[in-house]
Amino acid sequence: MAKINHVEELIFQKKENEKLVAELSIANKELAFQKEEKGKRAAELGIANIELAFQDDEKGKRAAELGIANKELVFQDDEKGKRAAELSIANKELIFQNEEKEKRAVELGIANKELIFQNEEKGKRAAELTIANKELAFQNDEKEKRAAELGIANKELAFQNDEKEKRAAELTIANTELAFQNDEKEKRAAELGIANKELAFQNNEKEKRAAELDIANKELAFQNDEKEKRAAELGIANKELAFQNDEKEKRAAELIIANKELAFQNNEKEKRAEELIIANKELLAFTYISGHDLQEPLRKIQTFVTIILENENKNLSDDGKYNFQRMQLAAGRMQQLIDDLLAFSRISTTELKFEKTELNTIIEEVKTELKETIQEKHATIEATELGSVNIIAFQFRQLMYNLISNALKFSSPGIPSHIIIKSRIVKGSELNNEKLSPEKNYCHITVKDNGIGFEPHFSERIFEVFQKLHGKEVYAGTGIGLAIVKKIVENHNGIIIATSESKKGATFDIYIPAD
Amino acid sequence: MSVKQLNILLADDDTDDCIFFKKALTELVIPTNLIAVHDGEQLMHLLINETTLLPHILFLDLNMPRKNGFECLSEIKLSEKLKQLPVIVFSTSFEQDVVNRLYKNGAQYFIRKPPEFSQFKKIIQQALMLIVQGNISQPTREDFVLTLQNS
Repeated sequence: MAKINHVEELIFQKKENEKLVAELSIANKELAFQKEEKGKRAAELGIANIELAFQDDEKGKRAAELGIANKELVFQDDEKGKRAAELSIANKELIFQNEEKEKRAVELGIANKELIFQNEEKGKRAAELTIANKELAFQNDEKEKRAAELGIANKELAFQNDEKEKRAAELTIANTELAFQNDEKEKRAAELGIANKELAFQNNEKEKRAAELDIANKELAFQNDEKEKRAAELGIANKELAFQNDEKEKRAAELIIANKELAFQNNEKEKRAEELIIANKELLAFTYISGHDLQEPLRKIQTFVTIILENENKNLSDDGKYNFQRMQLAAGRMQQLIDDLLAFSRISTTELKFEKTELNTIIEEVKTELKETIQEKHATIEATELGSVNIIAFQFRQLMYNLISNALKFSSPGIPSHIIIKSRIVKGSELNNEKLSPEKNYCHITVKDNGIGFEPHFSERIFEVFQKLHGKEVYAGTGIGLAIVKKIVENHNGIIIATSESKKGATFDIYIPAD
Repeated sequence: MSVKQLNILLADDDTDDCIFFKKALTELVIPTNLIAVHDGEQLMHLLINETTLLPHILFLDLNMPRKNGFECLSEIKLSEKLKQLPVIVFSTSFEQDVVNRLYKNGAQYFIRKPPEFSQFKKIIQQALMLIVQGNISQPTREDFVLTLQNS
């Protein structure tokens, strides 16, 4: 009976073993399945990693592109409009990519949670397997044969567990890495967010700039408008100026013609003036020559009259004698007239040669010439303080002769003639005469007498040609003497002033330049 | 000068003046012999060709045909034979310039022909007397022009 029991027990054990093998087979199948699942997950994780790496690459590229785009944006301020549009597109793309990334991140998050859950499950299984192994080890202890097989199976399972743990560790590492990558992605996303914000800010700025530019453009457009208006105005002004220039040119042309005409007229006038000067000289020369030639027949008339009066004295009636005497007087006056006219024309025709001359010498010469008259009039001539002056000597001699002989001629009857001649150098400014230059020095010559003088209102007239204050029966003369005096003074660029009162003598003041 | 008679040469183209001159000489106390020529060429011809006797005095008018008094004076004063001859210029007009030029050219005296015949006579006599008295070298410029002396 015991044997039967023993067989029964063996059968039971065999049945139990078979059950255990079946269970182990199931467990193994399950483990194989799990293993397969893990492989699949690992493959999925690999793919996910590759995708993430690719996305990272893409992000790097994008970042690089954004960097370039930014640089380009900074550089290309002029083409801000276009860039802004491009950036807007890039932004949209980035936003889209970010969204994609976030979706991926969410997906990865879900995958991670599943893996964690699977790991936990695996952990539980491992624990269950450990228990089962312990049980089997216990059963193996009890059943050595089985134990060896089971030992091998266990070892394999342990190895598999090890592998699983390795895988789990790898997965943990992969998860950590994924978490790290997610972190990085988030950081990138955050950075991208910041970059986006910055871009948005830049866009804003750009828009502001664009708005400013728009305003500036409007202003420029306004200014352009204004400029065009101005240009139009200027155009009109230019046309007007051009017209005025035209007019001016016409005027200038007219003026040139007028100038030419004036120049021609001036030329003509100069010619006329020259002709007149020549004619004047010719006239004076004519006066001179005719005067000269008139002298001879006149003299002969006088000579014949005297011969008749001398030789035919007895044969002539008193009336005849008287008429001859009148004839003689008339001829005498004519001779004087011719002499004076000759002197007058000589003053104008001869060349003016200035030389430093002692006035005293001239006075002495004149005194010698008038010696007889001076004696006759019992005249004294006081010529003191006389210097030397730059003068036309022969003309000045004539001047002095005329003045002194006039003084003698118009002496007061019964009173000895007294003539005072003085000279001094004086500054023009002291003389207070508008005809004299205040800066120049003048030689002031005075000829003063105690003769009959003349009324003050004749002081100018006496210098005119043929002007006489007395009848020829009273004072012989032609009225040319003082005209000659004046002309000589003028030849010396000077002036002469006569002052007198009737019966109180006359004073002649001559001013000629002394420099 | 110890001569019986003064030989006077007159060069004047004017007939009236020649008549006055001749008349004046005849009324003077000094014995004279007058020869008259009427232009400058005649004068110079006569003087150059005269071989025996030169006149004592020449009275020379300035305005003459063919050769004027100035030219004659210059020729006379440049001629060795004639330069000693006293030349008295006798003219109607009186020009300072002309007188100066004549003095420079060696004339003896200058006389302006006076209008009155009596003066005419006197001035000729005065001139003749000066020559007779031996004043044949040129006087000073002051005494060059003869004027009537009151006597």
